[in-house]
Amino acid sequence: MQDKLTTLEAAVRDHVQNGDIVALQNMATQAAPMATVREIIRQEKRDLGLVVLVGGIAVDWLAAAGCLDRLIGAAVSMEQFGLCQRYRAAVESQQIRVEELSETALNSRLGAGARNLPFLPTKGLIGTDLIDVADSLIMMDDPFGGTPVVACRRLDPDVALVHVHRADRYGNCQLEPTAQWPDLGIMPKAAKKVIVTAEEIVDTDVLRRNPDRTVLPGFIVSAVVEVPYGAHPTSFNPNYGYDSKMHLDWVTAARDDDATEKFLQDHVYGPADQAAYLDSAGGADRLISVIGWEK
Amino acid sequence: MTSQTNDDGTIDGWETSADATDWTIDELMIARLSSCLVDGDQACNGMASFIPVSAFDLARHTHAPELVWLAGALGLEPRPTKVPASTLEAPLWRDAVMYFEQYGDFWNYALNGRWLQKFCVGAAQLDKFGNANNSVIGGTYHAPKVRLPGTAGLGDMGSIGKQLYYWNSNHNPRALVDTVDFVSCAGYLGGGDERSELGLEGGPELVITNLAVLDFEPETKHLRIESVHPGVSVDDVQAATGFELLLPDGDVPQTAVPTQVQVERIRAFDPDDMRKREFRSR
Repeated sequence: MQDKLTTLEAAVRDHVQNGDIVALQNMATQAAPMATVREIIRQEKRDLGLVVLVGGIAVDWLAAAGCLDRLIGAAVSMEQFGLCQRYRAAVESQQIRVEELSETALNSRLGAGARNLPFLPTKGLIGTDLIDVADSLIMMDDPFGGTPVVACRRLDPDVALVHVHRADRYGNCQLEPTAQWPDLGIMPKAAKKVIVTAEEIVDTDVLRRNPDRTVLPGFIVSAVVEVPYGAHPTSFNPNYGYDSKMHLDWVTAARDDDATEKFLQDHVYGPADQAAYLDSAGGADRLISVIGWEK
Repeated sequence: MTSQTNDDGTIDGWETSADATDWTIDELMIARLSSCLVDGDQACNGMASFIPVSAFDLARHTHAPELVWLAGALGLEPRPTKVPASTLEAPLWRDAVMYFEQYGDFWNYALNGRWLQKFCVGAAQLDKFGNANNSVIGGTYHAPKVRLPGTAGLGDMGSIGKQLYYWNSNHNPRALVDTVDFVSCAGYLGGGDERSELGLEGGPELVITNLAVLDFEPETKHLRIESVHPGVSVDDVQAATGFELLLPDGDVPQTAVPTQVQVERIRAFDPDDMRKREFRSR
């Protein structure tokens, strides 16, 4: 097996290029590889196309930092913390072009990419205006004589970003027993490259004890990096919950250009490493507060 | 008063419980939505769905003890200690029997038409034929005045034969509109047979708002008042709607108020009043 262990700086420098289509593990407030997102912002990547099932604060930070020029996804929302206002403003001012897909249409596009097919069909979205505005969706007759279906053109992201509980230095990835992040099932399998961050890097022998928990094989992974609290401020069940305070601080900052810039300076551009970032978020007190959140 | 639980998990005496006197509008909406769910249904919820999850819990404790709940569309038969601040986070699917993976499990069960046949949804805009919009308002699709969150799974659910139950806690003319700015979930399209001619089954069944319950007139598929809530007039509902609603034959009924048992269960399940967050204070 090939050693893939590296630093975030090198992983993003080597595997994320300007203009790339970047698939992001995420739900509204769940499980986003936030450390990798911050490194992309720090390296000032530009003209990225972001693929999300349901994007949250990561989308807003990337939009605020000017990294995105298009988004392919089913929804962008921070749920209880509201709409992503910086993303929204960028779309409304036509800086970001949105290809909005339903969940099955996105699944079909990624599924076709993973399986090397030109398209996969869905029956979702029939009758909606979304078919008319997405170049990747075309109504077609069922060749077997049934009712029409929507052909969803293959999507091959250049790179997928994922965060997991543990990995070995070869990129084999494990999750704790928990609800799997909804997009982990297909995104990394469709992408040409995968950047993994893990709460901890362990010896392969640790993975061998519970191979049923291994969800991605190392051979599809390009780079693996150890980043404790790598999903903060989103949740990473069962380890930690979402950080309400940082979400609320961001919502407040995002209303104002100067405050947005200061927030990004304090939490993204400024901190030299993960420890410095966690200090910027409130340090040990905050981290203790997000542990044991299910109680 | 501590309620007794029957062997099937229902609350003893729920069938004969008297009307509550101190009910609130959120509780009335939850009770009405709950009545749409029956034994044999499987129900799932999405994000910010406090009214639906409370309705599922209420149904399971009263008339539908065998209702199956798939929390957040991924945690089967969970036992949350209370309604948490998010309906798409782990505390809601605490102690689940099984986790559904979105790509490999959930959509395979949801798409095939045998299971998960009812879906509760909210939308920024809903029009007179039950078409919904969570995509864009004003301008054009690529240069919108307002970018909304996006269709998520709703755009699928509208086209795959599901029965859709809409709830809206702020009935107003900008939410209930003549024609949606953009169709991100198919309702009855232009009304009449247009939906069925496209080969689509199912569709919107009911709209439960903070003022009234609306159904669809069977021929035209146009929204119609089914009942108005206590203290609300037909004129109030009409004034809060961006188009002319149809009326039922005869007098317009009043929505049933929740019972004492229903109100107690709703409050016990949601002690932090998460269900009240989405109601605009008047």
